[in-house]
Amino acid sequence: MIIRGEDIIIKTISRVLVPFIQLYALYVIMHGHYSPGGGFQGGVILGASMVLLFITHGYAEVNRKFSENIAVLFSSIGVLIYSGIGFLCLLLLGNYLDYSKLYKILSVDPAHARSLGILGVEIGVGFAVMAVMFSIFFDISTGGVSPDDEEEAE
Amino acid sequence: MNNFLIVITLALCLLVFVVLYRVVFGPGVFNRIAAISAIGTKTLVILIIFGYFYNRVEMFIDISLVYALLNFIGCVAAAKYLETEG
Repeated sequence: MIIRGEDIIIKTISRVLVPFIQLYALYVIMHGHYSPGGGFQGGVILGASMVLLFITHGYAEVNRKFSENIAVLFSSIGVLIYSGIGFLCLLLLGNYLDYSKLYKILSVDPAHARSLGILGVEIGVGFAVMAVMFSIFFDISTGGVSPDDEEEAE
Repeated sequence: MNNFLIVITLALCLLVFVVLYRVVFGPGVFNRIAAISAIGTKTLVILIIFGYFYNRVEMFIDISLVYALLNFIGCVAAAKYLETEG
């Protein structure tokens, strides 16, 4: 009934739209403490842009740009940023995630250090959420087995 | 101005239910996809009018932008499903 073809309109529109979606996601992450949003929401928008790329351009194209291994690496890096900032506060004789203690190494006053610390944590959360969302979508759409593995098995 | 906007909001809310009929009973998948994306567009306008009432339009525009993006992506995903399963 419906013939599968080169969907050039969808491909072109998504290729134009994806950078703007990612820019908007960065805006949501950066302005998390002034407006609605923050690390999680910005990460979800970043992940949605990758999902859009996956839907329109297919597995092979996305796997070349942002493979599942890189997604797993990014999610670990996000958690590392989050917990790293937390432990840094512990090392500076504060509580876990007590950002105001960061003023000792950032050379700004405690209020600014608190703002910057929250920003850093939100960047970490954004990384992790983006990668995990994309990884979940990857697993669902390929059935947990990537086409490369299937080729090797055959 | 306020009364005008309230009337517009109520009219849009009623129209959402009219479109919802198409989503539930509409013949075929194409009608359903088009109707869902129409509901998304109406929700977006309602959100921005709410922002005017709360005097924080810029905040609600952020939310409605995300809503429009996710609406578009959902629409493309549904079309993709149709392409492979139809």
